[in-house]
This record gives sequence, structure tokens and C-alpha cells, in this order.
Amino acid sequence: MNTNAVKSWHNWELHQAVTPKTIIVLFILFILFSISAHNTQIDKAAVETAKAGLSVFGIGESDVLAGASRFISKAFPIQISQRTAVNRLNKFDRDNLPLFSYTEMGEDKQYDALTETWTVEKSEFLVEPIGYLKKVLIKMLETIEMGFWGTVISIGIALPLGILASQNYSPHRFVYTFARSWLSFHRAMPELIIALILVLMYGFGPIAGVLALAIHTSGVLGKFFADEIENAPPGPQLALASSGAASLKVLRYAVFPHVYPAWIAYVQYIFERNIRTATVLGIVGAGGIGMELKGRWDLFDYDHVATILLAIFITVVVLEYFSQKLRKQAL
Amino acid sequence: MLKFESVSRIFSDGTKAVDNVSLHIKPGEFCVLLGPSGAGKSTLMNMINGMVQPSSGKVKLGDLVLNKNNLITIQRRIGMIHQQLHLVPRLSVLHNVLAGLLPTTGFWHSLIKSFPIDKQRHAFQLLDEVGLQEKHLTRRASELSGGQQQRVAIARAFISNPEIVLADEPVASLDPAMSRSILDSLKTAAKNHGTTVICTLHQLDYALEFADRIIALRDGKVFFDGPPHQLDIETQTNLYDLVVSPTQKSERAAA
Repeated sequence: MNTNAVKSWHNWELHQAVTPKTIIVLFILFILFSISAHNTQIDKAAVETAKAGLSVFGIGESDVLAGASRFISKAFPIQISQRTAVNRLNKFDRDNLPLFSYTEMGEDKQYDALTETWTVEKSEFLVEPIGYLKKVLIKMLETIEMGFWGTVISIGIALPLGILASQNYSPHRFVYTFARSWLSFHRAMPELIIALILVLMYGFGPIAGVLALAIHTSGVLGKFFADEIENAPPGPQLALASSGAASLKVLRYAVFPHVYPAWIAYVQYIFERNIRTATVLGIVGAGGIGMELKGRWDLFDYDHVATILLAIFITVVVLEYFSQKLRKQAL
Repeated sequence: MLKFESVSRIFSDGTKAVDNVSLHIKPGEFCVLLGPSGAGKSTLMNMINGMVQPSSGKVKLGDLVLNKNNLITIQRRIGMIHQQLHLVPRLSVLHNVLAGLLPTTGFWHSLIKSFPIDKQRHAFQLLDEVGLQEKHLTRRASELSGGQQQRVAIARAFISNPEIVLADEPVASLDPAMSRSILDSLKTAAKNHGTTVICTLHQLDYALEFADRIIALRDGKVFFDGPPHQLDIETQTNLYDLVVSPTQKSERAAA
């Protein structure tokens, strides 16, 4: 009997999209996802958000909305001036005040931790109208610089490691494996964890932040670099290699020009990312604006926090705009 | 100068790509290798630049027997023009040409693309010979037309003053007028510098027009070796049947 006989289409087998098996699989998935959602409080989030939505229209009370209004009511207007008690200033020259600043009388509250009481005394304050904004901007500049140097050092680590971690230019299989795993190791450690450890080693300040950024992002950049080198078209490389050129020269002339645009894009992304990350690294004491943010947050100075958040937001947007422009120039 | 002494190459699957070939190619000759696909042209070429080792017999460049130990010495004495051009698309025309000098340039100089002035002038001269102008120097190779790219490839092959230039299907993807012009450039450059050219072609008419010597291969064996004028009509017909693919023939018959 001929098994390859052409079947009439009337006898072709029907194909069902939904079978009992599908339903069972979907049911099991539903149960598993439900358990997981409960573990991560997705259900509670839904309830609370719904409550908040209702209470916007005056129906019921909501903790979520209360928390938000606690922040927002203190956050605006944002704080851009700086008030300092005169008697706390080391150098105060009444006849030679800083530009645009003036003095005023006010109450100075001080908390005495021993007696657990507030003492209020009248004192004179020096008011600098944009003093706080200036401080935030200086801190922001430090944050950007941290992001910049983090990126520079990261390239310095990623470039040689990336070449060693590319299969076609690694001198030996062992070196290749070693470089690849080293990069994975860098990638696997989050900046905040690295920064925590580095703060122990280098102390508070931007050093820990810069190095943390460099170590983490070099893992990312190095992998990107290596993958790009491996994916470069082999033809030009073969052409130069068959003329007797050493492999580093082939890399320079047949691979670099090709991978350059992609590398620029990666570096640009890493730079932007580093600035964003640098803003929070200060929370563990690794320098930048995050230190100021954390300090103000713990003092419930939400108006100061609002200034900082606004500064971060504007900086990130502006930098992304300019780095886009720069990238178009570089290509 | 270039000698094949009963060279054979048998691949691991048992095919005899090159079968007992003996050739003596004199300096300055413009040799054209003809033959259908799989006749052993590429294998023969790759044995000259050391990418394929002969199974038996010897390939000699001057007094030097080609083997793995002197591979780099040999590669430096040979220029190559590849079938798919293999220029670096994003590199400028000038640096594509100068990249042919990489084996003899110091590492740090090559890193910052600093080449001696006389080498640059040499590149200018070569680019002028193959018909390119100053405005092309800073263009990226990818911005040039296929024919112009092939001219750059020729200049690159000649920049290191090689004794032999190997051209693998240099006009495979070009129209007839451009092909003639490219082959003319190649031949002129070869004559100016006294360079031996070994060139594979698919087109019998170009071979008859440009070659000093035609070497026709079939199944790894040489079945004609001599200057074009020695080709009698019968051999020409044979060659034509071999070289020209059936589709091309039917197109010509229709025309």
C-alpha cells in the first residue's frame, strides 16, 4: 500500500487552537501567578490604588493619598534659598555680606537629645536667596563628573578586556574564558553593593562612587565591545591578515572603523546611565547629590528634596538631549 | 620566478582540486587562469599565498619553498585583490590603500594612522594610475561605486611593491565597459611596476584581450597553457564551453 497517497482535503486532520491541555496549562499558570502576585503584594497594591483613586473624589480615606499629600504639601514651593544662623557661621562679616544676601531675625529651634526638649531662642539668620539652589547645582555637577569619570575608567577597563574576551582576537581559549567570566563578575555586582564595600575601603566621598560605577559598567561595556568585535564582517579582516598584518593591526584597521558607531552608542548609553545611577549612589555615602538627598529626606525637608529631584530631572533630560546631538556629530 | 613543481592538492573528502600541476611563471607576466567553477583555480591561487598547503609537490617563490614557517615572509611579497573587494567600508580610501602597508609599519605608527610621507605619495601615485582623483582620498570606501572600490583594491594590492599580485575574479560583479577599464588599470599598474599578475577570470574574451598567458584548468589539470595567439579555434570553443555557464550561453544565443 502506498502511504504517500495524496489525501483528499476532506480527510485532513482538524487543528484546534484551544485544547483541554491548553486550558489545564493556563489554569496551573494562573494559580502559580496568583501565589506569586500575593507574595509580592500585587493584590494589596491594586486595593490601595483603587482606594486612592476613590478618595481623590472624596469617597473614603486612603493611606496612599495621605502619604503623597504629606510629601507634596511640604514639597511646594520648592526650597531654593538658604537660611543659616549667624552664630553658627565661622566667618561672618556684617559689612561684607555675600551678593544678594541679607540678614533677618528669626527663631532658632534646637533639639536637646539629653533632655529630649526643644529650645527656642531668637537669633539672627543670614539668608542667601539662591543659596540652596547653588549648593544643589554644585552637587549636581559633582554627580555628572562622577558619571563622566566612571564612564572613562569603565572604557579603560572594558577596552582591553573586551578584546581579550572576543573569540577571534583572544590570544588563547583560557584567556578568553577568563576575560568573559571577569566581565560577568563585574556585571553581576550592582553599583550600590560595590559602593557600600568601597565606602568602607576609601571612606565617604566620590571616589567610592566613581569606582563603583566604573567596575559595574565596565562589565556591561566590555561584553558589548567583545560581541561587536566578534560580529564584525570577516572579509576585510581576512584581506588584511592575508597580507601578513599582525592581528592587533587588523583589529585597528578592519574592526575598529566598523564597530566604532556601535561603540559610541554604547558609551553614550552607559554615560547617561552612570549619571542617573550616580544620583542615588550618595545614599550609601558614595558622593554626589544622593548624599544631600538622603540627608534632607531623613530630616523630612521635602521642599529641599523637591529642589534636588527637579535638578536631577532637568539634568538628565538636558544631558540626553545634548548627547544625542553629540552622537550625530561623531558619526 | 614562481614555480609549481608537480603540485597536487587532495581535500579530505577525496576530491582532487589540483592534480599534478607544473608551471613556471616568469616575472612581469600577466597570467589569466581560466576554467569552470571547481576546476581548481582558487585552490591554485590560495597555494601561492599560503592559505592552502599542497598535498604533494612544491610551490617555489624564487628560491623559497612555500611552507608554514615562511608564510609571513611570503604574504609580504604578495598583493591580493579579492572577489568581494574586502575594503574596510568605513575607512577612508587613502587609509584603505595604506592598510596594505600594515605588515611593515610599526605598531604605534599604525595605531595613530601615521604613515611616512613617501608612502603616502606612493599611494597617491597608485590611486592616480588606477584612475581616481584627489577628491576621493578622504571618502569612505562605502561611498564609492563598485568599480571605484575595485580600483582602490588594486591600489592596495600594489602599495607594498609586491612581486606577485593575485586577483581573484576582479571583475565578477561589474558591467563589461567597467570590467575592461578595471582590467586595463590592473594591467597598466602591473606593467609600470614590473609585477607578475595571476588573475582568475570567467570571461574568455577578456582573457584573450588582456592576458600575456592563458592557463586553462579542467578538473585540476592544465589543459591549455600559452599566449592567447596560440589558441586555435577548436581549443577556444572548448574553453568557451567550459567557462561560460549554460545560462550565459542561452542569453548570448538569444541576443
